[in-house]
Amino acid sequence: MADPDLDFTSGDAGASTTYPMQCSALRKNGFVVLKGRPCKIVEMSTSKTGKHGHAKVIFLSYFCMAVFNHLVLVIGVKCSSLSLQVHMVGIDIFTNKKYEDICPSTHNMDVPNTKRNDYQVVDITEGFLSLMMDNGDVREDLRVPEGDLGKEIESKFAAGEEMLVTVLSAMGEESAVAVKPMTK
Amino acid sequence: MCSQAPPSMVSTEQRQHAEHIFLSFRKSKSPFAVCKHILETSKVDYVLFQAATAIMEAVVREWILLEKSSIESLITFLLTYVLQRPNLQKYVREQILLAVAVIVKRGSLDKSINCKSIFHEVSQLISSGNPTVQTLACSILTALLSEFSSSNKTSNIGLSMEFHGSCKRLFQEDDLKQIFMLTVEVLQEFSRRENLNAQMSCVFQCYLALANQVLSWNFLPPNHILSCREVMHYIAMFEATQNVMLKPTASWRETLLDHRVMDLFFTVHRKIREDSDMAQDSLQCLAQLASMHGPIFPDENAQLTYLAHLMEGLLNMINGIEIEDSEAVGISNIINNLISTFPRSVLTALPNELFASFINCLTLLTCSFGRSAALEEVLDKDDMVYMEAYDKLLESWLTLVQEDEHFPRGCFVQPAVQVFNSYIQCHLAAPDGTRNLTANGVASHEEEEINELQEDDRELFSDQLASIGMLGRIAADHCIPLLTGLLENRVTRLHGQLQRHQQHLMASADPGTVDRKVLDDLYEDIHWLILVSGYLLADDPQGETPLIPSEVMEYSIKHSTEVDINTTLQLLGSPGEKATSIPGCNRTDSVIRLLSAVLRTSEVESRATRASLTELLSPQMGKDIVWFLRRWAKTYLLVDEKLYGQISMPLSTAFGADTEGAQWIVGYLLEKVINNLSVWSSEPDLANDTVELLVTLVEKRERANIVVQCENWWNLAKQFASRSPPLHMLSSTVQRTLMKALVLGGFAHMDSDTKQQYWAEVLHPLQQRFLNLINQENFAQICQEEAVKQEIIATLEALCGIAEATQIDNVASLFSFLMDFLSSCIGLMEVYRNSPETVNLIIEVFVEVAHKQICYLGETKSMKLYEVCLTLLQVYSKNNLGRKRLDVAAEEDQYQDLLLIMELLTNLLSKEFIDFSDTDEVFRGQEQSSGAGRAVSAADVVLYGVNIVLPLMSQDLLKFPSLCNQYYKLITFICEIFPEKIPQLPEELFKSLMCSLELGMTSMSSEISQLCLEALSPLAEQCAKTQEKDTPLFIATRHFLKVSHMMSKPLMQEYSELVETLLSNQRDAVIYQRLADAFNSLTASSTPPTMDRKQKVAFLKSLEEFVANVGGLLCVK
Repeated sequence: MADPDLDFTSGDAGASTTYPMQCSALRKNGFVVLKGRPCKIVEMSTSKTGKHGHAKVIFLSYFCMAVFNHLVLVIGVKCSSLSLQVHMVGIDIFTNKKYEDICPSTHNMDVPNTKRNDYQVVDITEGFLSLMMDNGDVREDLRVPEGDLGKEIESKFAAGEEMLVTVLSAMGEESAVAVKPMTK
Repeated sequence: MCSQAPPSMVSTEQRQHAEHIFLSFRKSKSPFAVCKHILETSKVDYVLFQAATAIMEAVVREWILLEKSSIESLITFLLTYVLQRPNLQKYVREQILLAVAVIVKRGSLDKSINCKSIFHEVSQLISSGNPTVQTLACSILTALLSEFSSSNKTSNIGLSMEFHGSCKRLFQEDDLKQIFMLTVEVLQEFSRRENLNAQMSCVFQCYLALANQVLSWNFLPPNHILSCREVMHYIAMFEATQNVMLKPTASWRETLLDHRVMDLFFTVHRKIREDSDMAQDSLQCLAQLASMHGPIFPDENAQLTYLAHLMEGLLNMINGIEIEDSEAVGISNIINNLISTFPRSVLTALPNELFASFINCLTLLTCSFGRSAALEEVLDKDDMVYMEAYDKLLESWLTLVQEDEHFPRGCFVQPAVQVFNSYIQCHLAAPDGTRNLTANGVASHEEEEINELQEDDRELFSDQLASIGMLGRIAADHCIPLLTGLLENRVTRLHGQLQRHQQHLMASADPGTVDRKVLDDLYEDIHWLILVSGYLLADDPQGETPLIPSEVMEYSIKHSTEVDINTTLQLLGSPGEKATSIPGCNRTDSVIRLLSAVLRTSEVESRATRASLTELLSPQMGKDIVWFLRRWAKTYLLVDEKLYGQISMPLSTAFGADTEGAQWIVGYLLEKVINNLSVWSSEPDLANDTVELLVTLVEKRERANIVVQCENWWNLAKQFASRSPPLHMLSSTVQRTLMKALVLGGFAHMDSDTKQQYWAEVLHPLQQRFLNLINQENFAQICQEEAVKQEIIATLEALCGIAEATQIDNVASLFSFLMDFLSSCIGLMEVYRNSPETVNLIIEVFVEVAHKQICYLGETKSMKLYEVCLTLLQVYSKNNLGRKRLDVAAEEDQYQDLLLIMELLTNLLSKEFIDFSDTDEVFRGQEQSSGAGRAVSAADVVLYGVNIVLPLMSQDLLKFPSLCNQYYKLITFICEIFPEKIPQLPEELFKSLMCSLELGMTSMSSEISQLCLEALSPLAEQCAKTQEKDTPLFIATRHFLKVSHMMSKPLMQEYSELVETLLSNQRDAVIYQRLADAFNSLTASSTPPTMDRKQKVAFLKSLEEFVANVGGLLCVK
């Protein structure tokens, strides 16, 4: 990033799905990869062992995408230089349990590349959305999300309202995360 | 018994029914005969309790109908009843005695009932010698005391404050004294006895508590004319009975100035001090006596005699005993009360010997409590009694020495040395100190998890440190060299220890074997030494320009003749060398040497980071160092000689304007900052303290002028502009502050070429990169790419930082610079409409710009800002209307955008209150013709914003404190500033605005209700101005008039109705007349109402008189 004349024209083919970031520079409401899953950070705090210890960052986050029910085991990684344990506890959005992770604040964490696109809903069949892409093609591979948002989309559709859904994609997965009526 | 039965036995309906029966029974007319019957026959305690309550309520209710004789016989009946039944349940007995007390109080005003007979009876009970009966007597007195005290203990009997006040006044002159005398007699009797059995000491304890209650009596001044303040006083009285200072009326002279009374309490305490419960009461009695002041003392001489006697008693009590844990707080309370109550003139008039031994005793106590407090910390006790006592004593010291010119010169130096030494000793590790040592000398050392919410010691112990720092100044001759020596020693040891570790690491590559114990001990020592040094050398640098404390200045001046300036500068300029290795180091200025000891610590730290030993260092120590340097720099760097009567040569030579020393140290500090930011990017607090030091260096023009001459500064600027590591790894808040500092630095004095070059390094890259990016043809396609998003976010963060750097003299250029961005930001709002994080950040930029700049902007500039804000709101509303998001946690964060918009609107409105732009002076030459005609007013923007916010603010959202506060602040501002716009709101909006006002008034915190009332008054004025009835605003305001009981004068008709309602509720003819007169005089002056200021002031004045006159009548308890 040292080059001031950045080239932003290249496409994202073959680009990495994540990039590293120092733990301390992560922010609440941002994204991070925990246990290989893209997550949204909902709580973040630092602590240290002993008054003269170094800071650790504690995350509390949820999967930003609810695709599969994951059961994740507690793992411990020995971090050699400071002999601090890295803890991760992660649980899926559906169970509403939280992911927790402690790591030294000097650690680099992976942050998922995320992308949001708005599509117009043209149909809903058997739990799948039919979405109109920018180029006029229609894709039909995205599930109606569970929960309130899904109900909202379905009832709006049933009422014949035109709407846009925002689709969030990260690490090769996608999910509808917001809906908004079309502006006339 | 249904209302008392356990839930398993009765249903809810049965319970409610039963409760209803009792409630209606208590309301029944003249229930006396029935009640007497119940009391005499029933065996159920709860029923007895209810009967007593019914009697009490009925007597108060039917007072005027009752014969005096029947009331008296009722009292006799109740007292006899209790006397004859010693085995009654406690709560039943107390309720019956309460009934007696209430009846006596009700009768005391028209003198129909005489307390005398009761006292006669009580004294007979006391002399009976039977413990049960004596306890009963005490209960009677306690009940009377509580009833008459007009405190929160007083029963609610539906009478006016004025009644309560008059009763209290009568009582305190006569009956209270009698109670006190009776109590003193009992205590005397008991204190003479050799052995007290358990039952006896229970009685003793009751009377001691009673004595405490008398001495904590909140005396009313004896005059009968109520001032407005006094009415407030009544009301406040009903809330607080804690921490009352003893201020008896003159009639108590004979009683309380009698030395035997004070002696008695000392004797009593000596007798029962081992019983921690009783000791608390006896010490509290003494503390109350130590707080005595006011008309009881006929002259200063009386005060002096009293104080001398008190001090002697106290010294006798303390000397020669080992203080119990439970006594510590009580004793420190006595001392603290004594020092803060008695005027300096009385303290200095004490016999020298007595005062000296008092100070000596205080010194020993302080040191001893300090040590015990440290012990408590080691043992991690829940109840930190010694810490509390220590804090109190240190507070007393501060009170004493802050006015030390009244005392003989130097009389506090030796005590200060001792207290200071013991504080240092408690905070240093063995062998020099006793930190973490338990009583038997065993070291305990535990590593605990510390989270970010835990306050840093410098804040947690700020009061203690301030006192210790103050004492250190008093004894500067001793304390400054002491700190210097200790700190230099620890730094040398730290250096050696780190070197050993480095060799060890090179030999065996396993860092896991490093023992941190020795290091941590050194870090902790250094931590406290730096904190104390910081508090000693400088005051909290908030607000005004901090001055070098006079004691420190005098100290430096006093020794300046012995000081070799060159050696001092050499010592200062060589932080890498051991101080003691410099020849002639003993002839250096001690104040500078203490600073240089901290610089040496800093140097060891910096070198360790360069040797890759960062992991062995303590971030806490790093914080301490930059905290100290910041505090020091604010006070000493470029010391302004004009601010001081006399100035020390060494200090002005080393740190004055245009000195090499100042230049050198600025360069050194800058290097430190840069080093910290690259090494400690992962320690958010340390990075934050560091960047604050940087801001301190550039926020004052004089300092900034030196800073920008440093090459390092330019390197920092370039590095930051290029967004390369390590600076881009810092957290966003640190990056913002860094940007702020860089912008502030740009306003230092530079020649125009240099200045141009500077901005080309700092701000132009930002603009250039941003424009290149957003002007790309395919920006819409690439905008979601990670690199692009990061670039955008970094730019937005930087903009916030730039806005934060706004000062009056740079607002012109910063505003123009930021305005260009703001328009582009609106485009971004569209592009990133589906990314809430980015949307929030964009709004935040607007919030910051409005917050920092609107107050300086002239009309045209403000207009521009209003316009761009309006566009922002329009885009936001278009993109967010009806949007629904998937979010797991329903937390405040989700409503961040709402909160930010409300903040933005509030900031825009704040211009109406704070406006420094009387002319467009700062924009001279830039301002063209005013943009009249197509004007967008603040009102338009704000009301448009309210249109967005109001429909989204549900009652649920108001449960979040931050949203709730911001919301009410906003709508109050709107009502105050644009009352005329309110009636023009669309109906739905108007309704929900009024609903939220009512909600705020009735069911939110008092702070919110106050805001709502403030919002209401301009609305009412608006009604009065338009003189139209039946408008929705008029109707709504009238509604509020009833809701709030506020007398809103413009609505005259409503007002008179309210007056009549109030009057018709008054049955008493005298009071009726007084009220009616008061209302008349209230309105006489201001009819017909007009709205000018003079009228308002006049009305406020008569309202005040009104409240003073009848407020006591209208407040009922």
